[in-house]
Amino acid sequence: MMRYRSLRLVVLASMVAVLSLRAMQAEPSHTQARLVLDSDTVRPGESFLAGIQLIMDAEWHTYWRNPGASGMATAIDWELPEGVTAGPIQWPVPSKLPEDELTTYIYEKEVVLLVPLQVATNVAAGSLVLKAQVSWLECKVQCIPGGASLEATLRVGPESKPSAAASQLRHWQTKLPQTQSTLDVQATWAAPQTDKLRNLVIEWMAKDLTQGFDFYPHESDGFEVQPNTVVTQSGNGVVRLTKGVKLLSGEWPGTISGLLIGGTATNRTGIKVTLQPGSKDKTSNIPDAAVPLPPLLQMLLYAFIGGIILNIMPCVLPVIALKILGFVGQARDEPAKVRRMGLVYALGVVVSFLMLAGLVIGVKAAGHQAGWGMQFGNPQFLVILVVVVTLVALNLFGLFEITPGARVMDTAGALASRQGYVGAFFNGVLATVLATPCTAPFLGVALGFAFAQGAASIVLMFTVVALGLAFPYVLLSWQPAWLRFLPRPGAWMERFKVLMGFPLLATAIWLYSLTLIHYGPRAWWLALFLVVLGLAAWVYGEFVQRHRVRPVLAAACAVGLLAVGFAYTIEGQLRWRSPITANAANSSVSNKPGGIDWHPWSPEAVELGRANGRVVLVDFTADWCLTCQANKKFALEVPEVQSRLKELNALALLGDYTRLPAAITRELNRFGRAGVPLVLVFSPARDQPPQVLPEALTPGVVLGALNRAAGRER
Amino acid sequence: MKHAFITLLAVAFCSTALAEVESGKPAPDFTATDIHGKTHKLSDYRGKIVVLEAYNLDCPFVKNHYKTGAMQELQKEIASKGGIWLVVNSVHEGNSSHRNAEAAKNEWATQKMNATAWLDDSSGEVGKKYGMRTTPHVFVIDQQGVLAYQGAIDDKAATNGDPREARNYVRETLAKLEAGGRVQVSHTKPYGCGIKYAN
Repeated sequence: MMRYRSLRLVVLASMVAVLSLRAMQAEPSHTQARLVLDSDTVRPGESFLAGIQLIMDAEWHTYWRNPGASGMATAIDWELPEGVTAGPIQWPVPSKLPEDELTTYIYEKEVVLLVPLQVATNVAAGSLVLKAQVSWLECKVQCIPGGASLEATLRVGPESKPSAAASQLRHWQTKLPQTQSTLDVQATWAAPQTDKLRNLVIEWMAKDLTQGFDFYPHESDGFEVQPNTVVTQSGNGVVRLTKGVKLLSGEWPGTISGLLIGGTATNRTGIKVTLQPGSKDKTSNIPDAAVPLPPLLQMLLYAFIGGIILNIMPCVLPVIALKILGFVGQARDEPAKVRRMGLVYALGVVVSFLMLAGLVIGVKAAGHQAGWGMQFGNPQFLVILVVVVTLVALNLFGLFEITPGARVMDTAGALASRQGYVGAFFNGVLATVLATPCTAPFLGVALGFAFAQGAASIVLMFTVVALGLAFPYVLLSWQPAWLRFLPRPGAWMERFKVLMGFPLLATAIWLYSLTLIHYGPRAWWLALFLVVLGLAAWVYGEFVQRHRVRPVLAAACAVGLLAVGFAYTIEGQLRWRSPITANAANSSVSNKPGGIDWHPWSPEAVELGRANGRVVLVDFTADWCLTCQANKKFALEVPEVQSRLKELNALALLGDYTRLPAAITRELNRFGRAGVPLVLVFSPARDQPPQVLPEALTPGVVLGALNRAAGRER
Repeated sequence: MKHAFITLLAVAFCSTALAEVESGKPAPDFTATDIHGKTHKLSDYRGKIVVLEAYNLDCPFVKNHYKTGAMQELQKEIASKGGIWLVVNSVHEGNSSHRNAEAAKNEWATQKMNATAWLDDSSGEVGKKYGMRTTPHVFVIDQQGVLAYQGAIDDKAATNGDPREARNYVRETLAKLEAGGRVQVSHTKPYGCGIKYAN
């Protein structure tokens, strides 16, 4: 019996032992910890480096200083002898683990957390024992708290001596985030999503890195930087990314600290930054007074001269040619009538300009940004203009006449009578409408001045530009004798008229190409409608005006064609009232191979470039701006400028004004301009104001500005 | 450009998978079954303060609150004031931390839990509706059904030590609600372990 009892006791005891062993092993640690020092011996007053080495089992991880959505940062509790002090933990750049919806910042396999320690000058020589109580959370799917009491011995002596672990710690030092005093980084709050969620846009120059860009936030109170990152721009060293920031409590943070990340998993670098979002004063440190507004009288003179020069800009030229034709025809008319015609034309121009002024004032009053040529950003306006210009071209080809019921003119002498007062007025309107996508020298400054002023000023300046545009004709209509050098009226005039139809047809096609960005492939239906329009015009001209074969039926046919064509193609297929709303905010920039390496413009990009010591060239342009296209072709995308930009390592930024983004309108206004083109050259030197280049550029002007900005005045 | 668009899509997708609730707004209603098969509907508790606790005892952060008895004390405090405490376990069935009804009842007894009920949310429905991110992520809903607080249970993310020494946001919110005052801190970042949702 005794034997049995003792046996049972033994069994029981061994069971307890096994159980307790199992209990101890129930949560075996998956992380081995070690304390290593970079020195065996240090002298009093010296500092040295300690490393907490954590070696984790496969698939297990421990956490960074900001663990992320879950987890816990590893903590070190030092027990140090008198005279030894520990600094903060230096954390190597972690990995980002998107796990379910909880993103965490982790270390896998192995990490060495570095801690600088300082030995006081009064520490006596001898052996010191350093103790660290390290606690961490290790996770795979489940998380287990881990901990270790670590010890290391350090000698204090007359001669410092590195330890065997020194090279290992130096290796881990290379994995620490860098601190770059010269790094220029910009952070700005973008449009808020909600009152608790904002977008933070971070931009920096990431020298040699090309991928893996991210921002790892440090731990934060009251707000949370969301884990998702949208890289909206990278290339040529400029990185721009967007992070959501959620406000949990209190005020929006003034500073957000963390790491700018770049590179791949095997070669990831981090740069420690403290962002100060929304420091707008830094991004626009060009004082507004840099562009002083000239006096009114000078501006009025500019407006007048600009208006005159507008006549020979490519947009207006076909209309001019027509007008000259009119004068030739009218040359022999009674002088009084010719003068009246000139005045009516001027009236057409002035009335159109006043309507434009009214539009600008209205748009400004509604709190929007207004700009010269802004109607060309409106797709419906473009459709109407394509139709009108096509009709004018068809009219010049002689397909139909504008005056209702007019017979075909077979003698050039009758031309003038055809160009009645209505025609003259319409010419004035057409000249104005076609003039707006162009801007002439002097005009940009004058209009910029007007747009910055009140309503009265806008009306005054627009009227003066109109008078300038109309001036040559009014002058000629009062002095028709000056046109004596032109050949006598004759059959050549009819041919010249048809000839002038071609530039207008080209204008129509150019305008049509502008509708493509608003309607995409649907714009094809507009082209089809133009054919129907031509057919209707022919039916009207041939059967109603010329031969009067059953004119009522013919007119009905023409109107029917137009109505059905309009309803089917324009309303039904083109759906001209609902253009494609593309993502205008992220308009991308396409670069031609071998051409200038353009990047999308933003005030931040300008500042980044300058901060990086680069000359910055900014071209504000639009598809509908002919002057801009000419500048680009003849003064920017030319070999001399391309190679000089490369040589200077200049940053070329393109601001696309085709869809009239408000940010660019603001920038144009800041430089006293009402519209594109605006070409700016910034020097990296902050005390130098940007150079505003003239509207009509030559390569020499651009090269000169680049040299001045680079400090290479020659 | 294309890449950015895809990322944006991904961002949008992620944010719909785990919903978000806003403090100061009505808390979304839900119906869930507890480990005894009883149905609980949030709106039925209108007029009472309701605490939701994202729970998983295998999480060392949660465990520390229970093994020190701090969590049970807080539950008792809520109950004594007529409040409701719902333990929400959203661990999916395939995870080793999942508890079937029997195991849950055992755990309830051994932990001496003082909550109103343990909701079986292995589908993750309630957890995802509230955007529960970690255990222990807590939510306090006031008598009018408005979310008064969401976030960490206290300001000390720890797997050891006494939670009673920390600033407890649930207790703080409760005191403010009883006094009829404004809740000062209505949203903090939750700490702890991932929830282990069903996919």
